[in-house]
Amino acid sequence: MIGRHRLIIALLMGTFMMFLIGILCLDAAQGIAAQLPQVPNPTEEPDPRLSLSDDLCLECHGQPGLILELENGETLDLYVSPDDYYQSIHGKEGYACVQCHRTIGNFPHPPFVASSKRDATIQFNNTCKHCHLSQHVLTQDSVHARALAEGNIEAAVCSDCHTSHEVRQINDPVTNEPLPETRLWVPETCAQCHNEIYQKYLTSVHGSALLDEENTDAPSCIDCHGVHNIEDPTTTEFRLKSPQICAKCHTDPEIMDKYGISTDVLETYVADFHGTTVTLFEKQTPDAETNKPVCYDCHGIHDIKSPDDPEKGLHVRENLLERCQVCHPDATINFPDAWLSHYIPSPQDTPLVYFVDLFYKIFIPVVLGSMGILVVLDLSKRLRDRVNQVTDESSSSVNRITDSNESELNSHDSPSEPSSTNGTQQENSHD
Amino acid sequence: MSAREQFMTTHAKNIEAKRVYRRFTAGQNWEHAILLISGIVLFFTGLPQKYRTTSWSQQILSTPERLETIQQIHHIAAIVLILLVIYHLGRAIYLLFQRRLPAAIFPTIQDLRDAWQMIKYLLFLSKGKPKFGKYNFEQKFTYWFIFIIVGIMVFTGIIIWFPELITRYLPGGLVPAAKLAHSTEAIVAAIFIVIWHFYHVHLERLNVSIFTGYLNEEDMKKYHTLEYQQLTGEQVEDADTGGSQ
Repeated sequence: MIGRHRLIIALLMGTFMMFLIGILCLDAAQGIAAQLPQVPNPTEEPDPRLSLSDDLCLECHGQPGLILELENGETLDLYVSPDDYYQSIHGKEGYACVQCHRTIGNFPHPPFVASSKRDATIQFNNTCKHCHLSQHVLTQDSVHARALAEGNIEAAVCSDCHTSHEVRQINDPVTNEPLPETRLWVPETCAQCHNEIYQKYLTSVHGSALLDEENTDAPSCIDCHGVHNIEDPTTTEFRLKSPQICAKCHTDPEIMDKYGISTDVLETYVADFHGTTVTLFEKQTPDAETNKPVCYDCHGIHDIKSPDDPEKGLHVRENLLERCQVCHPDATINFPDAWLSHYIPSPQDTPLVYFVDLFYKIFIPVVLGSMGILVVLDLSKRLRDRVNQVTDESSSSVNRITDSNESELNSHDSPSEPSSTNGTQQENSHD
Repeated sequence: MSAREQFMTTHAKNIEAKRVYRRFTAGQNWEHAILLISGIVLFFTGLPQKYRTTSWSQQILSTPERLETIQQIHHIAAIVLILLVIYHLGRAIYLLFQRRLPAAIFPTIQDLRDAWQMIKYLLFLSKGKPKFGKYNFEQKFTYWFIFIIVGIMVFTGIIIWFPELITRYLPGGLVPAAKLAHSTEAIVAAIFIVIWHFYHVHLERLNVSIFTGYLNEEDMKKYHTLEYQQLTGEQVEDADTGGSQ
C-alpha cells in the first residue's frame, strides 16, 4: 500500500515538474519572441529561439577583448572562442547560445548586474537544470550545494567542473555509462580546488595506476565520493559505510583477479572484532561515533599504498604497528600479529587459530556428543526399567518364567524373589 | 505431667527422626552460587558479543554505548569469577598445607572402572550399577570439566581483554586464537551444563544439596552407598546399587 502510495505521489510530482518545465520553456520562448521586433513574421517561425543563430552572437562575442566591468572592479571576459565551443558536446550537438543564455536574447541586452565574476558564474548556474534536471536534483544533495547555500560562494557549481563553453562528452551515447577515458580527467578537475588531496592521491596506488599507467580499473575521485551528490566525507555515517565503498571494487573478482588481489578482504574484515562492530553500528545506528577502524584508518585515505610497498606497505610489520598504535598506544612489535591480515585461518598463515578451530571441530562432537549419548542411554534405561516394572506388576509370575531371559536382563534381582523385586523396583520408579 | 511430656505422648507417633548428611560446607554452597550467578551473567552478556552478525544480537548491541555497557558488565562478572577462582585455589593450597585437602574429588582408576561398569549397565550388558563414594565419576567429571572450562575462559579472556599487555610478552597470534577459543569454549560450557549437569541434578533426580549443603538418608544410601557405609558402618543391601556384587 505504502509503495503504491509513494508511486502515485512520485508520478504526480513528476507530472507537475514536467508541467512546470513546460510552462517555463513556453514562458521563456514567449519572452524571447516578444523581444524580437526585427523578425517580420513571428507567426511563421515555429520556435523563435532558432531564429537567433549563434553567428549573430559571435559577431560580438567572437571578438577577443569584449569585456564587462563588474561592481567590484573585476572584468568579465565576454569573449567565447567559436572553435572551442564547436568542439564541445553542446556545440557538436548544435545547441544555440540562447538555449543556455536564456535571459539576454535581446539586443541591446537587458542590463546584467553581478557583484563579482563568481557572482556571475553562480547566476548562470541555474540554466543547466533546464536540460539536466536529474543531475541538478542530485547536486542539491551534495556537500557543494550545501556549502553554497550556507554562503560559501567558492563551493563548486556545474561549470566549475564541466566548464561553461568547453563542456566535454562524458557518457557513452549508447550505454549512457561514463566513457572509460573520462575517468582520467576527474582527478585534475577536482584538483582545481582540492589540490592538496590530489597531490596525495597522485602518490597512492590508485592515483599512480590511473594517471601514470592510464589504468581505468583504478578508481578516480568520483568512484568513492560519487558524482553529483557528493557526500560530506567527514560525517560518522560516511565513516561507517565507507567499507562498502572499498568493497564495491575489492570484492569484485572481475577487477581483482587481474592483479591477484584477494576478494575476501571485506569478509575477513567483517569477521573480526573491528569489522563486525562497524557493520553492526552501520545497520543499527548509522550516526554512531565509533573508534573502531574502517578500511581507511589502516590503509590511508588518499595516500593508499599497496600492502607490499617497502616504505609504507602494511605487510611490513613496523608499518602496521604504527597504524595499530594510533588507537592502541601501548602496542608493541608482537601486537600487529593479533590481526589476521585479512587471512582466512589456515595452517600456514595463522596456525594457532587454525588448530584451535580444528580442535573444537573435533572436540565438540566427540566429547559433548558422547556425553549426550550417555545421557540418552541413561534416560532410556530408566524409561525401560519403568515400563518393565509396570508389565512385571500386571503380569503373573508364569509370564516371568517364560520370559526369563528378558527379565534377567532388565531387572537386577533374581526372579525367584518376586516380592522383593517389586519392592525395590517401586523405589526405582521414584527416581 | 509436664507440657513437654504431654506433647510427646500425643504426638510421638507423628514424629519421625530423619538423619541428614552434610555434603557441602556453607562456603562451598556460596562458591557454587557465585559461580552460577557470574556464569549466567557472563553467558548472557557474552552471547550477543559472540553472535554480533546476527540480527537479534544487533538489536541488543545497537549503539556503541550499549556495547560498552554490556562489555563492562561482562568484565565485572569476570572479575567476580576470577576472585572466586583465586579463593578456590587459595583454599585448596591452604588445605593442602594443612594436609586436609579432601581426596574424594580427585579422579582415580576406580572412576574409570565405575564409568565402564556404568556403560555396561546402561547397555544392558551388566545388571548392577557401581557403588559410589562421596563423589561418583560423573560428579568428579563435572567438577574437573568445569574446572578446565573456567581455566580456559579466564586465560583466554584475559588475553583478549588486555591484548597490548599480553603481546608484550607473548606472540600476537595468541590473541585471535584466544578470541576463538573463548567464544567456542563458552558454547562448550553451555552445552555441557545443559546436557550433562542439568540432566544429572534435575532430570535424573533433583539434587539440591549444592544449595542446602545436606543430603537425606535415602539419597545417601542410594547414590553414595560407599560413603554411607563408611559414615554409618551399616551395610547397604540395595538392589539398585550393586545387586550384582
